[in-house]
Amino acid sequence: MSNNKAFAADASRKERIKEWVSRPGGFGIITGSLMFAAITLVGFIYPLVGPYAADEFVGESLEGPSLSHPMGLDQLGRDVMTRVFSAVPADIGIAFLGVTIPLTIGTVVGILLGISKNKYVVSTVSSLIDGINAFPLLIIAIAMVTFLGPGLFNVVIILTLMSWARYARIARTKAVVVLQQNYIEAAKLMGYSKRRVISKHVAPNVSSESLAYALSDFILVIIIVSGLSFLGFAARPPMPEWGSMIADGRTFLGQAWWLTVFPGLAICWSAISLSFIVEGLSRRDRGNS
Amino acid sequence: MSNALVQIDSLCIDVKVTRTRRLTIVNSATFDVQPGQLLGLIGESGSGKTMLCRSLVGTLHRRGAYINSGSLTFNGIDLVNASPKEWRDIRGKEIGYIPQSALAGPNPVMTIGAQMAEAIQLGEKMDKGVVRKRAIELLEIVQIRRPEIVLKQYPYELSGGMKQRVMIACAIAREPKLIVADEPTTGLDVTVQAEIMQLLKQIRKNLNTSIILVSHDLPLINEVCDDIVIMHAGSTVEKIPSAKIQDTRHPYTEALYRSRIDLVEPRGKLVTINGQPPTVGDWPTGCRFAGRCDYAKPGCSADVEIPSIKIGPNHLTSCIRQAEIWGK
Amino acid sequence: MNRNVFLRKLGGRLLRTISISFWVMVISYSLMRLSPGDPAEARLGAGADPEAIIKLRETLGLNENAFVAFVDYFTGVLRGDLGVSLANDVEVLEIIKRTFPLTLTYIVLSVFFAFIISVPIGTIIGWSNKASAVYVFRGITSIIIATPNFFIAMVGILLFSVKYNWAPLFGYVSDFPGNLKYLWLPITVNTLILVSIISRVLQTSVVDTRAEEFVETGIIRGVSRPRFFWFYILKPSLAPTVVLLSYMMGTMLGATVILETIFSLPGIGRELVGAVLANDYPVVQGILLLFGVITVFLSFIGDLLAYALDRRVKL
Repeated sequence: MSNNKAFAADASRKERIKEWVSRPGGFGIITGSLMFAAITLVGFIYPLVGPYAADEFVGESLEGPSLSHPMGLDQLGRDVMTRVFSAVPADIGIAFLGVTIPLTIGTVVGILLGISKNKYVVSTVSSLIDGINAFPLLIIAIAMVTFLGPGLFNVVIILTLMSWARYARIARTKAVVVLQQNYIEAAKLMGYSKRRVISKHVAPNVSSESLAYALSDFILVIIIVSGLSFLGFAARPPMPEWGSMIADGRTFLGQAWWLTVFPGLAICWSAISLSFIVEGLSRRDRGNS
Repeated sequence: MSNALVQIDSLCIDVKVTRTRRLTIVNSATFDVQPGQLLGLIGESGSGKTMLCRSLVGTLHRRGAYINSGSLTFNGIDLVNASPKEWRDIRGKEIGYIPQSALAGPNPVMTIGAQMAEAIQLGEKMDKGVVRKRAIELLEIVQIRRPEIVLKQYPYELSGGMKQRVMIACAIAREPKLIVADEPTTGLDVTVQAEIMQLLKQIRKNLNTSIILVSHDLPLINEVCDDIVIMHAGSTVEKIPSAKIQDTRHPYTEALYRSRIDLVEPRGKLVTINGQPPTVGDWPTGCRFAGRCDYAKPGCSADVEIPSIKIGPNHLTSCIRQAEIWGK
Repeated sequence: MNRNVFLRKLGGRLLRTISISFWVMVISYSLMRLSPGDPAEARLGAGADPEAIIKLRETLGLNENAFVAFVDYFTGVLRGDLGVSLANDVEVLEIIKRTFPLTLTYIVLSVFFAFIISVPIGTIIGWSNKASAVYVFRGITSIIIATPNFFIAMVGILLFSVKYNWAPLFGYVSDFPGNLKYLWLPITVNTLILVSIISRVLQTSVVDTRAEEFVETGIIRGVSRPRFFWFYILKPSLAPTVVLLSYMMGTMLGATVILETIFSLPGIGRELVGAVLANDYPVVQGILLLFGVITVFLSFIGDLLAYALDRRVKL
């Protein structure tokens, strides 16, 4: 059966799923999603069902990996595995907020800018946006810690303040392109209200682009959140968080490699699973495997 | 026929789609080209005409395609099995290529002058002054004004028509015996189109170059070319002199001819051809046009070899019912 | 594009760069005003002498109207005065001059090595387009890119500092060639990440170029190998890479913060972290300003270079 055939509308659900998966990139998307779902689920469930608590002192300090403690114990005798999984809400959850909130705000601002006819407003805000985007995210996040103080919650605020500009830029560029398309003109000529044109035609197209970027950004933000914690600016002990765990483990690098390696692998796992999804989606777009 | 410049016989071109799947793009193409002949090659998308062109310049491998069977001879040289060295001697020097105007054009990161120098020298060392003189000469032949300025420009500074003229200039740089022009005017203004066709006719006249002109525009081909080869679904279905296009002996050609927009009376009905061209590689048995043919009978789809029937000195068709439909 | 149009566009772009730099300055200065509490108090501590707090507020310009204070700052910057460190009374500009060269050195070296490694890799894999090679290539680079640089650095340290002591972690020595011992690992980590990013973009670009018709024309014309490589493969594909490189240098600046902390290098990143911990606002502002302006100008230069390579690029 040739792949060129248009897929029959009455194909069964199973067949349709199979076809979706067999298209380019399908493998990456599925693997990545499963991997990411795995760590997120384990992160939220394990602390509830696991034998130890994240801050419970259960044994000798700096014990290596064993059957009862597959990831070993840290310098205070806490089970590393529990802490690694307990850190999921912190790392992934905070990163999630640090992406979705700027995404929403930025996309709205971007669309508004794209629609606006006021030249001065548009150019001023655009320059402002470019100004914010000029700073490397990590740097300006660190600088903002000076002024706003450390802590995970503050990190969300900082990320929101700094990231919205990137989304706004993307949204605006795409909105401008979309607005020039013929179908927008067609919709207007058909008498659709401005609001309808925006919500039904402009917003979905712009959002799809913003969402695609958001996925890649998610990876970046996870790394930044853990990076900030590593430097001591985000999560504070005793809160379990991958970056700060790696920082703590630095002192014992020679004796207890598991303190650094496992949290690091957790970050890698999250980031890699997401990047598989991103790669799968981009292969799908480009049409080659 | 024995002194033909190009002789193509039952040529089959396949393409490698995946590691295991092969697709036949051209399935039995047969025609020849005489020296100095302006031959039109017409067909819908998917008819295989572009692949046929690529086989004439030896760039099939770039698309993962290869000649499966049949023969392709140029000036006595077997192109199916030609060595890289033979290709190097042929490409550019004996066979020139003008790409599709919409897709291509000159290399965007090089000046026109640099590219013309490439086309003129083709890897040989030549005196710079000689090359420049020849470049200007060529640009004048293709009717580009102020050639000295154009030499220094980049492609993005030129219009579509000018870019195509540059490509023509590059193709004729070494006065090849054959030029393959793959839809050279598609997407250009009608007036520019006419000028470029004029140019090609002049080049044929002055240099006695054979030109294979590929297009999907029948009226254009009809007006410009001596003879026309019509392709459908990967095979050549008819070869007919332009002048006698109305005496066609193949339903597809007839349908193409009748669907010409310029023949429609005001408020008249537009004639169309039923159905869609068959999907490449998914070809039905027997005559591949049978599904869309007004004259089709069950026997047309029988799994037999499609013949090449000679009607006149320069007229071949592959419709097995041609005698019944149009009489002897 | 003829001379005049080009110059006009160039001027426009330059003007835009400068206006963005202006906003960069505004932002880096205004951040202090965003503090929920009193910056002076934060710096000196809650139980500090009230007079000292007032004095500090004065120094920081917090008592004046924001607009006036900014104008003061702005004119100061134009003169080269970026303020004075609260921690040790050294001029911020001096601190930058002292610490930036090291950071700049290893960043430039990383980018240089990364570039000369990425070009062959990206080009060869892109051009051959062999499915298996592409799969492996993109797989490995995905993994490297998704790994945070501090983790790669840690793994590197585990292997080379802890096990073999080939890369000492303390006591940086600034003269050549002594400093090579301290710099090779951070540079390698940086280069590894950069190579993954750059070669990917180049590979994608080469694949796109390869499909273009003019490449076919080049083959048909029988252009010589080295010439073909440069004019038909590399030059048309480099533009996105160059733009990316200039953007990456900005990101690299960001990453220096972490790397310098891990490797105890006295560069500007570590200086920034110290200043943040000490609430040393002028230093933070000054470094922030520096980074912002550099990134903006780098992106301008990057776009210019891309245009020089491929005229189709929009300036």
